[in-house]
Amino acid sequence: MSDFLDILGSTALYATAVRLALPILFCALGEVYAERAGLVNVGLEGMMLCGAFAGVIGSHYSGSPWIGALVGMIAAIGVAAIQAGVSINLSGDQIVVGIALNLAVLGITSFLARAIWEGGDVPKVDGFSDFAMPLLSDIPVLGPILFKQGALIYVALVVAVASWWILTRTSWGLRLRSCGEDPRAADSLGISVFAYRWKSMIICGALAGLGGVFLSLGQLFTFSDNMSGGRGYIALAVVIIARWSPLRALWAALIFGICEALALRVQVTDINVPAELMLALPYVVTLIVYAGVIGKSRPPKALGREYSRG
Amino acid sequence: MVGSIFLAIDGVDVGYAMQEILDQAFGSSFAVKNSLIEAVPITMVAFGVTVAFRAGIFNLGGEGQIYAGALASVLVILGLSGVPGPILIVLGLIAGMIGGGIWGGIAGALRSRLGLSEIITTIMLNFIAFWIVSYLVRGPIQDPDGAGYPYTKEIPAKADLPVIGGSIPLGAILLVVAAIVVWVLLERTRAGISIKSLGSGEATGRFAGLRVERTGFAVLLIAGVFGGLAGAASLMGNEGRLSDFFSPGWGFIGVMTALIGRGTAIGTLVAGLLIGFLSNGITGAQSAAGIPTSTAQILIGVFVLFLIIVNTDVVATALRRAASSLKGVRG
Repeated sequence: MSDFLDILGSTALYATAVRLALPILFCALGEVYAERAGLVNVGLEGMMLCGAFAGVIGSHYSGSPWIGALVGMIAAIGVAAIQAGVSINLSGDQIVVGIALNLAVLGITSFLARAIWEGGDVPKVDGFSDFAMPLLSDIPVLGPILFKQGALIYVALVVAVASWWILTRTSWGLRLRSCGEDPRAADSLGISVFAYRWKSMIICGALAGLGGVFLSLGQLFTFSDNMSGGRGYIALAVVIIARWSPLRALWAALIFGICEALALRVQVTDINVPAELMLALPYVVTLIVYAGVIGKSRPPKALGREYSRG
Repeated sequence: MVGSIFLAIDGVDVGYAMQEILDQAFGSSFAVKNSLIEAVPITMVAFGVTVAFRAGIFNLGGEGQIYAGALASVLVILGLSGVPGPILIVLGLIAGMIGGGIWGGIAGALRSRLGLSEIITTIMLNFIAFWIVSYLVRGPIQDPDGAGYPYTKEIPAKADLPVIGGSIPLGAILLVVAAIVVWVLLERTRAGISIKSLGSGEATGRFAGLRVERTGFAVLLIAGVFGGLAGAASLMGNEGRLSDFFSPGWGFIGVMTALIGRGTAIGTLVAGLLIGFLSNGITGAQSAAGIPTSTAQILIGVFVLFLIIVNTDVVATALRRAASSLKGVRG
């Protein structure tokens, strides 16, 4: 038990937690845009996986993780464009399209990994290595947790704050949200619901792709089949728990980071908890937290509903 | 078509590959048997998805329900090894249905009691079921003679589902029975009316005096029963033991199958059989013609996207818009 408390009190746990929370955070931030505009994007998982894979490809052939990140984002935007086209313009069921995309991306990435590398053995590529920020990393507790990570953590923090500002403090954000609350009223005011929903989905794709890139280039420096492992779905839950707020998403994503980090830490100590059961923890906690907040959160009114003029 | 593009990218002789796939899927009674065995879990879990679809509920929990069902089944079969074969088979299948039903029922209860979206809860329950099974097959119920592999002891041969006439596994007959049950449930019972009226809108259903919560719960429970049966039938018809690599994603392929089947019992049955033949053909041909296994997944995903595009009256809407824009009227 005291071992367990030691782990809970160690800064190493929280540093790992932040690292593991980031891919989920990126996805959740993207999903906030989509859902605020009225789109449920279950394809998040596929976009993330696509980003993770394309990121590795980009980094492998260019030797630069930044190019990899760019390629990952573009590829995920491609998936988002299919999701947007079919669900917005063609009024396909948003959820069904997302599931089909997830399955297709899972197949295509596993296929291409084998087509490019014999047996699907993806080599190690250049990723984002950790570096200590001068001065900031010397702050006790907070320093090692936040300021000794790879570069993408700063991108994540900036995106979270910027997203909050854009969505709640700009007229562009107001218009985007109006498309998720009452698209017909928005349309009658001359706001193009289709255009705003498209933009929100493209942003969502870019951020989910970045989340995937962080998974492959920020943590493991390689790609393995289905490496997103349901994190896209966890991000869907994070958005609900965060009540569609980019800032609250920071905390919500961190909860899951801590669970995952705990599962990893406990495995390497001699605490007598089976590793497999610890690995189930993030999913159990998702359910519990989700159940805890459900009455308090109110989704955008037109969430998940297709919009057609006429 | 899409498939041949992917195959061509990979440098495979497309004509030869197609021939090989057909051969592996239909070529002999052995091939047919294998294709049907492949179709059993996919189609069975798809029936659960189909029933849920009709109620407007997304059962993405097939994967977890398969694991829960197979777990319950393997526990009962290994625990009651003294029971005669036929009874053991029936008990194994029932246990699977109960296990899957419990797992689906949890999602149902979370939905109807607390209002949690089944899209998220079923996915989370998939992972929870997987890790519980993963723990059990590496610990308490691991095969002691299995050289450390993460699987249980093999079930006794008398609990294996028989194959009739060399090519028809009992599981395939269960599929036909299940299709009839789903059809009767949806089209000939009061429960079916409740399910479908929930599907046409919760508010409408409530207005019509439907107990929306209870129906929602029941639907996910029923879906779980089919998922659990898929797990048990696969355990007893093919796998022989439970491992933590038991299901290669049947739960999600089942969702696709139900979509291709367009939410009807017979459609799902036909779609499931087709996918079974397709994936067995591809799996069988992969070594001979050098086709990667994931081709089946890609094909199914792309095919479903295509179906959604065609299904949603897209073409019709586009034509109507084009026509009205010609007349200067906004569609």
